[in-house]
Amino acid sequence: MASNNTNHHRSITDINGSHPIPKKPKLSSSSSSSFITVSEIESEFSHHDTTIARINNGSFGSCPSSIISAQQQWQLKYLRQPDHFYFNYLKPAINNSRSIIKDLVNAQNLDEISIVDNATTAAAIVLQHTAWCFREGKFNKGDVVVMLHYAYGAVKKSMEAYVTRAGGKVIEVPLPFPVNSNDEIVTEFRKALEKGKIDGKKIRLAVIDHVTSMPCVVIPVKELIRICRDEGVEQVFVDAAHSIGCVDVDMQEIGADYYTSNLHKWFFCPPSIAFLYTKKNPKSGGSDLHHPVVSHEYGNGLAVESAWIGTRDYSAQLVVPNALEFVNRFEGGIEGIKKRNHEVVVEMGDMLVKAWGTHLGSPAHMCASMVMVGLPTCLGIRSDADALKLRAHLRDVFGVEVPIYYRPPRDGEVDPVTGYARISHQVYNKVEDYYKFRDAVNQLVDNGFACTLLSG
Amino acid sequence: MDNHHSQNGAVYSTEQKNHRDAKKPKLTHFISDSELRHEFSHHQTGVARINNGSFGSCPRSVLAAQNSWQLSFLQQPDDFFFNKLRNGILDSRLIIKDLINADDVEDISLVDNATTAAAIVLQQIGRNFASGEFCKNDTVIIFHCAYQAVKKSIEAYVTSVGGSVIEVQLPFPVNSNEEIITEFKKGLERGKVNGGRVRLAIIDHITSMPSVVIPVRELIRVCREEEVDQVFVDGAHAIGSLKVDVKEIGADFYVSNLYKWLFSPPSVAFMYCDKKVENVHHPVVAHEYGKGLAAESAWVGMRDYSPQLVVPTILEFVNRFEGGIDGIMKRNHEMVVKMGIMLKEAWGTNLGSPPEMCASMIMVGLPSKLRVMSDDDALRLRFYLRVYHAIEVPVYYQGLRNGERVPRDKDGFITGYVRISHQVYNTVEDYDRLKTAIIQLLEDGKVCSELPKE
Repeated sequence: MASNNTNHHRSITDINGSHPIPKKPKLSSSSSSSFITVSEIESEFSHHDTTIARINNGSFGSCPSSIISAQQQWQLKYLRQPDHFYFNYLKPAINNSRSIIKDLVNAQNLDEISIVDNATTAAAIVLQHTAWCFREGKFNKGDVVVMLHYAYGAVKKSMEAYVTRAGGKVIEVPLPFPVNSNDEIVTEFRKALEKGKIDGKKIRLAVIDHVTSMPCVVIPVKELIRICRDEGVEQVFVDAAHSIGCVDVDMQEIGADYYTSNLHKWFFCPPSIAFLYTKKNPKSGGSDLHHPVVSHEYGNGLAVESAWIGTRDYSAQLVVPNALEFVNRFEGGIEGIKKRNHEVVVEMGDMLVKAWGTHLGSPAHMCASMVMVGLPTCLGIRSDADALKLRAHLRDVFGVEVPIYYRPPRDGEVDPVTGYARISHQVYNKVEDYYKFRDAVNQLVDNGFACTLLSG
Repeated sequence: MDNHHSQNGAVYSTEQKNHRDAKKPKLTHFISDSELRHEFSHHQTGVARINNGSFGSCPRSVLAAQNSWQLSFLQQPDDFFFNKLRNGILDSRLIIKDLINADDVEDISLVDNATTAAAIVLQQIGRNFASGEFCKNDTVIIFHCAYQAVKKSIEAYVTSVGGSVIEVQLPFPVNSNEEIITEFKKGLERGKVNGGRVRLAIIDHITSMPSVVIPVRELIRVCREEEVDQVFVDGAHAIGSLKVDVKEIGADFYVSNLYKWLFSPPSVAFMYCDKKVENVHHPVVAHEYGKGLAAESAWVGMRDYSPQLVVPTILEFVNRFEGGIDGIMKRNHEMVVKMGIMLKEAWGTNLGSPPEMCASMIMVGLPSKLRVMSDDDALRLRFYLRVYHAIEVPVYYQGLRNGERVPRDKDGFITGYVRISHQVYNTVEDYDRLKTAIIQLLEDGKVCSELPKE
């Protein structure tokens, strides 16, 4: 059966699929003599389009071929005999993944870890519960949910669907961008909490990003959560879509009631898999969370409900052991990867701002593996539409994939930077990727390019 | 203009057509036996797989197309998201629209499975109960054998906010549509007893366990006469099993899984919503919230959408068979009835319903001597057949109910049934093996409770 791809890993002609059940991998990395080599990394990501400087790991993540292979083994196992798979393999494999995640994020109890499709789903789960509390009268109409202005678009919509519609009031915390220090964020956050408590209203939930998406900044979540506890905010939900594999994720340290992160962004899993942590605490009502897609497992706890939401392909949820094995092939394991990604992305960011005469959107300590790089003002980015068009232009004409953020000017600003590129660094990136981007922008500047010239 | 195009060994000529979907090939020969075997060669050899109903099946050529889409995403995900995904989903929806005789592609959404569709419909109902638009006396009516996930969804979204449920007993074994219609009418009467309205009727097109084809058109006509607000047809098994014409059926909501009988990979289902339906949302809220269910469902956050993109390839696959999907359905039906009759005569038992109330599945009575006396017994038997005979078939326990005529064989009451399926990959040998395995158990004098537990 001829298929279109040339990489044999992805054909399904191998029907000998006896699945190699991995032994439970160590959390720490292997000895120095067996670290992954540069050419092995290239091979693992050889399915990436080689004509593209792929400096946007943040949006869709990446998955090495050995993990894709492992996923296909699971898919094949299901297809061979699905009843047998359902009755005998699925649950233990999901529990295995959950167990590894629990250790990775330092949760205390396996029940606290559920696997869902993505952070968007996790947000729906948490906010659906909030809506229920409003409808049941547990929360009063007008009670407040606080979120950051730079919260992800889908989360904002979820707030509208589940909180506002149920009678809750949403308060957005404005954040400065560019930002210079954690204090700037803390100050705005405190002001928003004060606003929330006006007229005797209670703040029932704070939704805080760990790493905002656009513009991208690392938020001091631990500090904000401490303030929440001091100020009587009932619960905190951290939307950490990017974090695992990007920043430190320690549930005891961070102290949130709910915490979600995607494993397909920075932890090398295929699309799609995320975990939702719900702190085990009788007061927090964690056991009242339900998956919105109700199956026969309803009422058996969120983790069990999420592990069966009808017939689907669960294979992406089953390769977490393989992801752990993969990161352990690198020096320092995932910690080493995080550290090197951070160092290089900051270095590349500095290189670009020097080349273009602009600045970074935040200092190095407020970045992880992504950084916002100011674009030359002469490019004339004056709207979200301009940013999108410029992005398409960079993709189609220059072979550079990078998201562009439009930052509206504020009153009194003179010739401000209005466009920022969010560059990512992941293990497959090379410096040439960033030079390609630098040169593309330089060429646009030299050609007198401005976004108004783009049609559409 | 003829192009001769060789693909998978089938030589066919293509004709240009005006519509968006794949050029419909005119075959010069139909799929051969060996091509068919190859298409399903990834199925575990040696297993008599007579349970297509539970998890469906997907041929290699469709899996290969899915791999192509997956690779396209992995190669350059941004380009895939911005330039390929939306049109791919639209192409799939357009084909489904034609298959089910809907007028407008906007009425067709793609979701993971019927379980998800049930959550969508019941959340809408739940919102109306919670807001007070519906009263406490208002009800939702279902069959007692409705799929367990649907029942739980009702618990989660309807009874939790004060709505009530009426369960209509499905007569089983069943002899005619009239028996079902009579029970259903009685159920509707119960719903109106306290002055309440029946806000939603959930009707299976083909029930799961026990499996019977329900006369949905007639039941919906009764619903409209009795002023039932909305009707949701759970057609999980329907598409690829029997003809689905949503205009003719006339439901407000209709869902069917494509991965059961229409050869898609896991998992994708279509959900049809009549234009007058309002306030329906996908529970996973993302950027497209408020733009209609179809748009909302087409982006529920980052996921693998490849199963939703292979519907054009599925159409190509079914058109390699004589008569296309209609021919497949006809032959599946004829064979499953023939095999059902073969089994019931070998065992001296019965069929759960007449042939005209089956599609590609049929319930066959198990000999009473096996003493299927509980759900646990049924599971033991299923496990035993899987492990000791490599036969995959679900077993159903039908408890005795007072006042009903329960069928008998020469040794006692028939309380257990197997649900056999027939799909294009099945052979007569699959059913012979089941026949023999059961006869062997009888000769060994075994009863279900003696069989090993999992």
